[in-house]
Amino acid sequence: MNARADIEPLMAINDLSLSIDGTEGEVKVLDHINLRLLPGDIMGLVGESGCGKSTLVKAVLRILPKAARITTGDIVFEGRNLAAMSSRTLSSDIRARKIGFIPQDPYLALNPVFTIGAQLLEIMKWHGARPGPGSNRALARARVVDLFRKVRLPDPEAMLSRYPHQLSGGQRQRVLIAAALLCEPSLVVADEPTTALDVTTQQQILCLLRDLAEEMALSILFVTHDFGVVSELCKSVTVMYAGQTVETGTMAEVVFSPLHPYTKRLIDCHPDRLATLEGIPGIVPSLIDPPGGCRFHPRCSEGTGGCPRRAPILVTQSPGRAVNCIHFDDVPA
Amino acid sequence: MTAPLLEARGLRTVLGGRRRRFGASVPGVSAVDGVDLAIMRGETFGLVGESGCGKTTLGRTILGLQRETEGEVLLDGRTVSGVPPRVARRLRDSVQYVHQDPGAALDPWWSIGNTLREALAIAGVPAAEREALIDQVLDAVGIPLSMKRRYPHELSGGQLRRIGLARILILRPDVVILDEPTSGLDLSVQATVLNFFAETRARFGLTYLFISHDLAVVRLTCERVAIMYLGRVVEVGTVAAIFDNARHPYAQALLAAAPSLSMERAQDAPVFEGELPSPSEIHKGCRFRTRCPFAAPACAHTDPQLEPVAEGHHVACIRWREIPDI
Repeated sequence: MNARADIEPLMAINDLSLSIDGTEGEVKVLDHINLRLLPGDIMGLVGESGCGKSTLVKAVLRILPKAARITTGDIVFEGRNLAAMSSRTLSSDIRARKIGFIPQDPYLALNPVFTIGAQLLEIMKWHGARPGPGSNRALARARVVDLFRKVRLPDPEAMLSRYPHQLSGGQRQRVLIAAALLCEPSLVVADEPTTALDVTTQQQILCLLRDLAEEMALSILFVTHDFGVVSELCKSVTVMYAGQTVETGTMAEVVFSPLHPYTKRLIDCHPDRLATLEGIPGIVPSLIDPPGGCRFHPRCSEGTGGCPRRAPILVTQSPGRAVNCIHFDDVPA
Repeated sequence: MTAPLLEARGLRTVLGGRRRRFGASVPGVSAVDGVDLAIMRGETFGLVGESGCGKTTLGRTILGLQRETEGEVLLDGRTVSGVPPRVARRLRDSVQYVHQDPGAALDPWWSIGNTLREALAIAGVPAAEREALIDQVLDAVGIPLSMKRRYPHELSGGQLRRIGLARILILRPDVVILDEPTSGLDLSVQATVLNFFAETRARFGLTYLFISHDLAVVRLTCERVAIMYLGRVVEVGTVAAIFDNARHPYAQALLAAAPSLSMERAQDAPVFEGELPSPSEIHKGCRFRTRCPFAAPACAHTDPQLEPVAEGHHVACIRWREIPDI
């Protein structure tokens, strides 16, 4: 277990806060987020819609709306701070080349009027990925076909001349996974890549991602709202609530012995656990004016008098395991 | 045994297809291809399958929006099929449908109140009685009356589902077809919405046809389940029979594919390869044999029919006796 503390993380997000200036005021979408992703890890990023999980992965790639700005903290990836990097350097060095992105909806992410091959070859050209010495079109094609084989697409050669509408949802998601892997990144960020798919297709994609991570020494940051998917795929988990990190740990720790009341309630919402069929009362709070103290206290069933008064701090329980609840930090009440 | 409230006999629905004056005619696609169902009064009946298996078309055919090509639909023992959609809807006004995505099904330019008023106007309720009925139904679904002036975009996903059911309830149906009623919701909201559906069913004495691709949800809410593959029901039985003793290889594969919170990872379970073939290219014999790990030569020329495994548990597979448990 102690080994986890010593390994240099592939990516460390330290104290990251992000605000978006809206018409009704400043929306604090991310509030002092901390996350350490180790090399070879598959981390699940879990939370309800509106908790900021998608914003966090977009912040990593800095593909954010114009009104968004990072107010505190940094994102250290392979020794460089992505939060302070110029957009030009991000495009030339990081996006696609070091960090690949798999989008949520395979039906929207591909351009309907270009062939699959044209779209993937363009990515290679854009990022200057050299398929081999003296890069040329034939080699680039061979590289794409090779990747199509890796993501187990049927008839990879013919796939190049197909249009997106000729492919099923699962096949399109495989094409997008291949696109994310084109420049051999060390990290892949996936934003709910299986929510639009059937369970059987989802199972195939999860299995594929697991094998690819093993084979290509990839780390994956996997955004999802489904703890079932987490327990099938991930090695570690970070749970988010209302823009904050709530709990982090290995998959087994978080799924089978959660500490934070929110994590417990969220896992109990999974139909596999629903002996009593209970949701979490209330709704995710507004990020313009979040509740004082612990942000979860209005919906928490284990709250005490201190919860509305003092904001909890993320306290490390053991290496790689941290929880953000005043009942676990050692500040005297 | 009591008579079923809603029954489908040999139902077949062909979509598209056209006869042309010149040139070859375009064959249609049998989205529903010989389905028998019997739904009892007061039960929640689950209909499960992958996208494209015909579950929504079956729902629409039962509702009467889509005219059946063959077979018949019986409601409370009366035949209500064999007529054009307009007449069919009048005969089946006790069957109502809740759309998959209420956010898309509600008119964004109409307030919630107006949407509900229109339903009553179409049903011929006098204007004087409408307001009282609307207040009553909003109260029943737990939506504050002040929401009548709100527009769909101002409501949360959970509230939209409640409105989706409210505008059906106001017409006092017996049978409600719920099409993927919790897709796109957070798990925390899904739990609340499922609870709400269960309470409403008990309170109004409804019968649900619950269309879903989420087995975990079906296990939780339904009493009986039918599993569909390419327009056919391949297995039907009680929730206990299907989840503990599924006999059809497709049902078994579907159960194994659902992500679960169990300690042992499904990693070790075989991954179900291949994809749903196009319903326009259905081959002879068993439809599932191209993806079936247990396919035998006999499967290529026998079209399996539903046969009883136990009381109330039927499976359409010629080799079900030889198939091991999962």
